[in-house]
Amino acid sequence: MIKFEDIQVKYGETIVVDNLNLHIKKGEFFTLLGASGCGKTTTLRALAGFLTPSKGKIYVDGKEIMDVPVEKRGIGVIFQNYALFPTMSVYENIAFGLKVRKLKKDEIDKSVKNVADMVELSREQIRKNVSQLSGGQQQRVAIARALVNNPYILLLDEPLSNLDAKLRKQLRIELKRIQQNFHITSVYVTHDQDEALTLSDRIAVFNNGKIEQVGTPNELYNEAKTEYVCNFIGEVSRLGTEVIKHVNKVHGENILREDANSYIRTEKVEITRVMEGMTELEAEVINREFYGTHIMYTYKILDSTIKSFVKENGLPGLNIGDKAKVYMNPRYIMQY
Amino acid sequence: MGKFKFSKKNVYLFLVSIFLIWFITAFLIYPNINIIYRTFFTEGKFSIRAVSKIFNSPRAVKSLKNSFVLAATLTVTANILGIFVVLVTEYFELKGSRFLSIVYKIPMVFGGVVLANGYLFGYGSNGFLTNTLVQIFPGLDPYWFSGYIAVVFVMTFACTTNHLIFLKNALLNVDYQTIEAAKNMGAGQFYILRRVVLPTLMPVLLTCTIMLFQMGLMAMSAPLMVGGTDFQTIGPMILTFSGRTDSRDIAAVLSLILGAAEIILLYITTRIERKGNYMSVSKVKTKIQKQKILNPIVNIIVHILAYALVVIYLLPLLSVVLFSFTDTYCITNTTFSFSHLTLDNYKRIVTDIAAYKPFMTSIIYAGLASFLVIVFVLICVRLMLKYKNKGTTALEYALHIPWFIPPVMFALGLVMTYDLPRLIMFNMPLLGTMVIMLAAYMVVLIPYTLRMIKSAFSSFDNNLEDAARNLGASGLYTLFRVILPCIMPVILAVFALNFNGKLSDYDMSVFVYHPLYPPLGVIIRNNVVNNQDVDAIALNLVYSVLLMAISSIVLYLVYGRGTREKKKK
Repeated sequence: MIKFEDIQVKYGETIVVDNLNLHIKKGEFFTLLGASGCGKTTTLRALAGFLTPSKGKIYVDGKEIMDVPVEKRGIGVIFQNYALFPTMSVYENIAFGLKVRKLKKDEIDKSVKNVADMVELSREQIRKNVSQLSGGQQQRVAIARALVNNPYILLLDEPLSNLDAKLRKQLRIELKRIQQNFHITSVYVTHDQDEALTLSDRIAVFNNGKIEQVGTPNELYNEAKTEYVCNFIGEVSRLGTEVIKHVNKVHGENILREDANSYIRTEKVEITRVMEGMTELEAEVINREFYGTHIMYTYKILDSTIKSFVKENGLPGLNIGDKAKVYMNPRYIMQY
Repeated sequence: MGKFKFSKKNVYLFLVSIFLIWFITAFLIYPNINIIYRTFFTEGKFSIRAVSKIFNSPRAVKSLKNSFVLAATLTVTANILGIFVVLVTEYFELKGSRFLSIVYKIPMVFGGVVLANGYLFGYGSNGFLTNTLVQIFPGLDPYWFSGYIAVVFVMTFACTTNHLIFLKNALLNVDYQTIEAAKNMGAGQFYILRRVVLPTLMPVLLTCTIMLFQMGLMAMSAPLMVGGTDFQTIGPMILTFSGRTDSRDIAAVLSLILGAAEIILLYITTRIERKGNYMSVSKVKTKIQKQKILNPIVNIIVHILAYALVVIYLLPLLSVVLFSFTDTYCITNTTFSFSHLTLDNYKRIVTDIAAYKPFMTSIIYAGLASFLVIVFVLICVRLMLKYKNKGTTALEYALHIPWFIPPVMFALGLVMTYDLPRLIMFNMPLLGTMVIMLAAYMVVLIPYTLRMIKSAFSSFDNNLEDAARNLGASGLYTLFRVILPCIMPVILAVFALNFNGKLSDYDMSVFVYHPLYPPLGVIIRNNVVNNQDVDAIALNLVYSVLLMAISSIVLYLVYGRGTREKKKK
């Protein structure tokens, strides 16, 4: 439904995004994930029409949209700081787009109240001025304001980054629910991988203006194609050459390359032999962090520092300095 | 991508650019260039005859000397007064300091021709104080209140407004802990004041000094009305010389000298501002606390001085207000009597066309100019923010031109340029039309309005404009429904202050007013000259009271309420 073809964006003389090719399917919740300054917001703004790429084309539903002005693109945008109009009430904010299109008063009223119900804003709340609402409520207003115009595409620029952790988790679920109910093609920008993994149908990982990998959360997590993606998503421990050599020795053949950069995910390191084909390693506990739901142990194994966690089940667990046996399945070791 | 489209946007840009270029050339550049030309070119050839004429005219030379002497004196007297006033209300704890604070703010609403008129009413040849003094000292010359001393006196008490704003701010930003530290080390009160506090206020005082020097040089109404025949300064000289065509070049040279002085002073101010950081609103550790004057004798003396000042400030003001409510008998004999109180003078304003015509003229000119300049500046600021190129940079520099040009020089420029048909003005002479004064008001208001509106936009969230466009709004719709409402408080404040400033303008108006529609400033001045006509005197009193009332309301609405809202939070 949305196609980016060889897109390049420049700020002055600096190239911020280069050779961008992306295809987003209809009804998909697609996330642009990356660190600050990697070009994800720039890509989003190019789609919205707030900036013009220096090269390339963008297609929506097969039609080129570069010449279409912002106000005619039919794309809803939810800004990072919400960009709610401070002199207007919640009602007026939500009704803004409808008023611009000169709809009838009772039509506007019906639409506004409908969408307000959907985002769970009460009648009393929509009469207030936007500055009187909390962060979470303002965010709902921003969502309502974008949705009420029935856009084909919804763009969300880090909409949860200004909220506290608990509210973020809550609203994450709501956003997903709304997107699924409306089946709107959504493009979501974030630097938070938890958000990306839980919300998205597919994710594009950005690095310095280029895309490292596009895939489903599972693909990115378990089949990271590049070292950057492997490091960026989830927690990994770097495995040194000695560990790799040990694994190879135990298996009697070189199943792993000894010259490659090797990683394993934290949750794939076990303290019991849970399945066939696992390699046993001698470890010494050098750090212990209490997370409430689990305990994160840092082990020294041969030449590597490896992290692993154990669910907090009430048992005493290990202490710093303790010796332990640790198990890894070689097929989960990622190498680049 | 590179095609020129006949879109609405491009047509608008084209038309606006043409208009801006015309307006700036016609009103900001051409008149000033013309002055330079008339100074250095006689009959088309380069000559310094005009300049040498100055040195051959004893009046002109004397006026130059007088202006610089006045400016220098003012920096001393007004600085002393300004520092004293601020210390007495913000640093030391005095009895009735709230009352003192209010009285010392009088210069903010009582200035220019209105103030000069007030002083003359009290101390002039027919003034009530003069008449009282003559009865006590029969040999006293009724024109005692004129000349150098009188002008210095009037201006000293009128020019403390900058101290009240800037010096007060700087004092409130002093870290009180430094004073406590000095006390702890055994320093006495005045030692601390001299060695700890005043040094930190030096940059502000320097700026105030420069501004005082500027005010002294550019002075018009005070020297004109109170200077008498002995003490003429540059401003009134320019006015006199511009009246005759054969002496206009002298007027041009004099105004050019003022312009050069202004540029030098502004340059110095900018250099100081760049070095000092005193205008920053950095969070101060401990706020300043007022201290009682410990030495009892000094304490009494300071109190006496403070309240003596109150008398000086209040006397002209109160006499103007009180006598405005009296009848012709009281005004003629300058004796106040409760039995002669009447509202007749005020009724005249409403009923007599000769009385309210100047009032309406001023209101319309000031209002229209303030409104138009805001529209003009808004258009320019939008262009400057949207398109950052050589054109918009040149635009910004050009709009600052009026800042460097003294109003008197600019008015003279208009007179000397548009007294004849000029091609740039479509062969229509502007002098004697109703438009020229409007243009004059507008142009001098541009720099301040530009500064304020630019700063309003800098605190405006650009995402709002993106959001509005994304929701389908066109540029104009967004401007009126989203942007303007957000910056409306600033726009209203700028409008009110500009309106207030031009309402009683004299310095420029006297050069360019339409003979059939003189504004208030000119009328007040003429009524003073005409001081045998009781009705004229009475009218001046009423005008003064009304102008002061309007000023007070405007200042209260713009500055007074803001602080109260902050306190509520």
